[in-house]
Amino acid sequence: MSDAGTVHPIVVTINGERYERTVLARQLLVHLIRDTLGLRGTHIGCDTGNCGACTIICDGKLIKSCMMLAVQADGTEIETVEGLAVDGELTALQRSFNEHHGLQCGYCTPGILMSATYLLRNNPDPADAEIRRAIRGNLCRCTGYVNVVESIRAAAAGVQAEEASR
Amino acid sequence: MLLESVEYSCPQSIDEALRELSANDGAAVLAGGQSLLNVLKNRVASVDVLVDISGLPELRTIERNAEGSLEIGACVTYDELDRSADVREGHSVLAEVAGHIEDQQIRNRGTIGGNCCLGDPTNNLPPVLIALGATMNIQGSSGIRPVAAEDFFFSFFSTAVAQGEILRSITVPPIAPGGGVGYQSLAVGADSKAIVRASAYVRANGTIEDARVVLSVVGPRPIRHTGMEQRLRGGAVSAEAVAAASEAIGDDIEPVSDSHGSAEYRRRMARVVARRAVNEAIERGASR
Repeated sequence: MSDAGTVHPIVVTINGERYERTVLARQLLVHLIRDTLGLRGTHIGCDTGNCGACTIICDGKLIKSCMMLAVQADGTEIETVEGLAVDGELTALQRSFNEHHGLQCGYCTPGILMSATYLLRNNPDPADAEIRRAIRGNLCRCTGYVNVVESIRAAAAGVQAEEASR
Repeated sequence: MLLESVEYSCPQSIDEALRELSANDGAAVLAGGQSLLNVLKNRVASVDVLVDISGLPELRTIERNAEGSLEIGACVTYDELDRSADVREGHSVLAEVAGHIEDQQIRNRGTIGGNCCLGDPTNNLPPVLIALGATMNIQGSSGIRPVAAEDFFFSFFSTAVAQGEILRSITVPPIAPGGGVGYQSLAVGADSKAIVRASAYVRANGTIEDARVVLSVVGPRPIRHTGMEQRLRGGAVSAEAVAAASEAIGDDIEPVSDSHGSAEYRRRMARVVARRAVNEAIERGASR
């Protein structure tokens, strides 16, 4: 036990890689991901659960990693933005953001990509209202969301077309 | 932001959680954490140990009993409520309200029990649960004690759950034939902080036979407005009768004045929102 409290051993799998670390109870999951494990694709915007820049997928559920303790992630499987592209090959969604100018400064983009990934997994052909509802927890101060929605819509349509042509 | 130093425990059973909570006055229940973690970041509350009950399977179930009532575990998330076929079938208002709380990320973590036990008078679910006539099942070392939802909320951040106890589940009775539930908010933005909220249960059959009208964000706790209920009961099922009944809301409520609205504005809007909630309840009851 240090001044900051008891140290808890945890095991967490992130993007398929297993990490064994010790954490303090007060440590937020986003700090484990960024500071301890060096996975800095997950951003911190507000640290209060408002902006969604730290959005990740934990055990299949979309969450904000500043709103969960690192110790609570013990035994979970986590996906972050670094896990989307495999061997440098961008996902259809990532390519669509590139093609449709779905970002400007890019700070919110990792979180938005995770929210959109979660949406398309659960709803491969979303209506615009469903897209907007899915990214309600992600603040973007550059784009006005129009190109973000367009990027997600186009990615969904592209995947649908690809499947139809099979 | 760094939380103040705190200990963490993850009990494997409700009994173990209750033991830990009663052994330490500084112990606090951690469920979804979507409010509590921010409270700890802001250091407005001091907690020695967080007792994490969010993973206990007994608290994660939704059951529909034969007579149509729902038994909802305290750690059921907003998203689970929103997607539950059982909730949508018999108590769709709960799914709708839960499905509009904040955003997907928060709905995946935040729990119905946390929404109630925080005792934040601006929270969404308390007024609906009171309108539905729900019962809050509080568990302590000596067993489970049921408390009516309307008696559960004491004041700002204070509820019937005492130190050493947890909210185990919420029982929601079936909605009677001819009955319906409405829920209306006047919010700052599309779905931001509410200025006034109202939820209403109405059972009608030619005339209004029963009514529960609940106002929230107009005081330290959600309240039933018995004055408006009395005027509704036995009255006509018409927008005019509902509007006349809403005039019962007056100086008996004492909302705060803040940057979103003065006390007088809130009082006037309480009448409007209560009216809308009652009309919605009537409409829904008629279409069942």
